Amino acid sequence: MTTGAPIVVESVSKRYETPSGPVPAVETVSLTVRPREFVSLLGPSGCGKSTLLAMIGGLVPPDAGRILIEGTPISGPTPSKVALVFQDPGLFPWRTALDNVGFGLELTGVGAARRREIALSLLEPMGLKGFESKYPRELSGGMRQRVAIARALALDTPILLMDEPFGALDEQTRLLMGEWLVEVRHRTQRTIVFVTHSLHEAIALSDRIAVMTARPGRIKDVVEVPLPYPRALDGPDAVALHAKLWAQIREESLRAMEGRR
Amino acid sequence: MRIWLWRLGLLLIALTLWEAVARMLNPILYVGPSRLPGALARVLATRDLPPLPGHVWLTVGEIAAAYVLAVAGGLWVGFLLGLRRTVGRIYEPLLATLYAVPSVVWYPSLMLFFGLGPASKIAFGFLLGFFPVTLAVLAGIRQVPATLVTVAVSMGARPWTVFRKVMLPAMASTMVGGLRTGLALSVVGVLVGELLGARAGLGYVINYAYGLMMTAEYAALVVLVAAAVLLLDGAGALIEARVKQWAG
Repeated sequence: MTTGAPIVVESVSKRYETPSGPVPAVETVSLTVRPREFVSLLGPSGCGKSTLLAMIGGLVPPDAGRILIEGTPISGPTPSKVALVFQDPGLFPWRTALDNVGFGLELTGVGAARRREIALSLLEPMGLKGFESKYPRELSGGMRQRVAIARALALDTPILLMDEPFGALDEQTRLLMGEWLVEVRHRTQRTIVFVTHSLHEAIALSDRIAVMTARPGRIKDVVEVPLPYPRALDGPDAVALHAKLWAQIREESLRAMEGRR
Repeated sequence: MRIWLWRLGLLLIALTLWEAVARMLNPILYVGPSRLPGALARVLATRDLPPLPGHVWLTVGEIAAAYVLAVAGGLWVGFLLGLRRTVGRIYEPLLATLYAVPSVVWYPSLMLFFGLGPASKIAFGFLLGFFPVTLAVLAGIRQVPATLVTVAVSMGARPWTVFRKVMLPAMASTMVGGLRTGLALSVVGVLVGELLGARAGLGYVINYAYGLMMTAEYAALVVLVAAAVLLLDGAGALIEARVKQWAG
């Protein structure tokens, strides 16, 4: 049944050791992501959604369960298949936009001329033409994040994992970046897992939304979003979906808040 | 440009004050700037003083040796303590304690161990230069943004690649600051060593002039050393600014 699924998460658990004892972050989560699907992990802060994403990316080993990328269990990063984008763009300040985008290619031994060609072909449709020789400090927040996404796309992996990539941006930039990501996604045909705590963002972008519980993170429900693009978030279907998700997540957010006290 | 004018003005004021004060006091003990050029000429002609070039080269050589050792040792210990966390946890308090002790107290032991020759000066220059380099490496490692390392690891970078392509550039500005301080302190170490007891070197000549009450020559030598150190540190500052600009 899972043949051909780019990502399979099988009863995965993770806990963190803290001075006051172990804290369960993710508890027996299972999830199958279909080819070219956009799945959002939605949940209150601290629910383990970033931990789950880091495990899919091979950055954090699960304590129990396993993760299969294109049918193969992983034990570390799989840069040939999976690329990651984080909330902090994490651009190298000593590299130009162009050289940042070329970083992953450099690691795999792609020559300078080819790197430049690939990087330019990615930066141009992102509205970054003319900015290729700028350093990160000379770019706006939205531009930086686009460079970071271009750097991930440059690896040409079938899977893209994004951990609240627009979380640090202002509301307007965030909306525009969302529209832009929808376009990128349809152009590049990636399978995307996207972590967010924003209901609007999840509804605007996803094919399916996995709602997570407060710590320890479990998947509470997986909701299909059968809306056509471009999506109007004030349409009746979107509003109904928002209400449904909010009902689910409200409870969890309350629990997260209580737990925080 | 304006700032340079201000600096020049300040320098002139300082020289004038110095001259005025020196003229009011005993000319054997107090040397005004107006007497420096003559003294400098005498020093360079090595009249009444040991021949300067040989001593200068000896001191330069000692500083170079001390600094090379300080950089090598500082980088090695810094990376060892910074990258091997267990080792770091064991030895870092020791390092901090040693650093807190005024280094001059070690010098008599160094003379006992290494004699009056260049070795004890090199050892003292090394000791003084070693700490800032080590501490800068440790600080540099700590301030490498974790995200940058994560990004590289997620793209399949091996530890050595992470070190070379992420950590080193990310640490560059902090490290170059420490390397600059280390150089300044290596110079101090060698000169102080020579002043406290030596048979050759620039510090020895300074001491010699001082001992014979050749105060003008003594002052001229001090000004010469100050100018050399200023030039050296200026070059260091330029390099540091360049690296900082590059490393963002």
